[in-house]
Amino acid sequence: MERQEIIAGLVEILGTVRTINKEKLADITEDTDLIKDLNTPSTEMINIVAKAEQKFDVEFDDDDIDELDAKVKSVVDLILKAKERN
Amino acid sequence: MENLINWGPKDILLHHGPTKRLVNKYHYHSPDVGIVASYVPTERDVEDHFNIFRGVDQIESFAQASACSCTIYSECVKMNIGPPQLAEMFFPFFLSVGQVNFHDYIEKGDTFVNIGHIKFYKFRQMVCDGRIYKVTAGFDVDAWFKNYTDERLLAYDVSDDFKLVAELSDITGRSIKRSLTEKQFV
Repeated sequence: MERQEIIAGLVEILGTVRTINKEKLADITEDTDLIKDLNTPSTEMINIVAKAEQKFDVEFDDDDIDELDAKVKSVVDLILKAKERN
Repeated sequence: MENLINWGPKDILLHHGPTKRLVNKYHYHSPDVGIVASYVPTERDVEDHFNIFRGVDQIESFAQASACSCTIYSECVKMNIGPPQLAEMFFPFFLSVGQVNFHDYIEKGDTFVNIGHIKFYKFRQMVCDGRIYKVTAGFDVDAWFKNYTDERLLAYDVSDDFKLVAELSDITGRSIKRSLTEKQFV
């Protein structure tokens, strides 16, 4: 699975988050910080990664999420790592 | 470790700051469903506040009783360790509040009961909804909840001795590794 394909999937997930300004989703790159750049509430990060598990058919460990930062790149890396592991 | 009933809140919450612990006792705990826990405000809790227990402290008490206590329990079960061992590795954090509607107030010496429903739990984060009730003086809270069931918990099945004080939604807590919090606060 290509990184760009994962980002497109993430954008779909982010589109369901009420507090995110949908116009900003068009400019997302791997450097985008979901909390700082999109004003995502930090508690919402758990819901986003839980939805990513379903969308990309992967399973994350609690330890994976403990140290996850809010960069799109980090989430993409995590999904690819989980895909490899699964 | 079947549930939290055999543990006191002092074993579970705020080892670092016991004066901020706003839970006295767990009365009912069903690990996948929810919890009932009570507190009686002290002189210290109402100081400079006309003997009234503050609304923000009601929310804090509810969060400690529900999302924080229940996430600690669930982490202990997952890791097959007890609360003292978990406390060496994790802090329970009260992270956010959704909606709160207050209907009444609580005074020093009143016994109030937090009834929390677990709504979401994943990646060490828990979200709870629930209610706070105060009970009439002398009411035996332990006896009332002794044979409580999940169905009654979910239905907020209480008698006329319970007066609704607050309704709370999306109270969120999370167990966070000490090593991560120490980077932030130490």
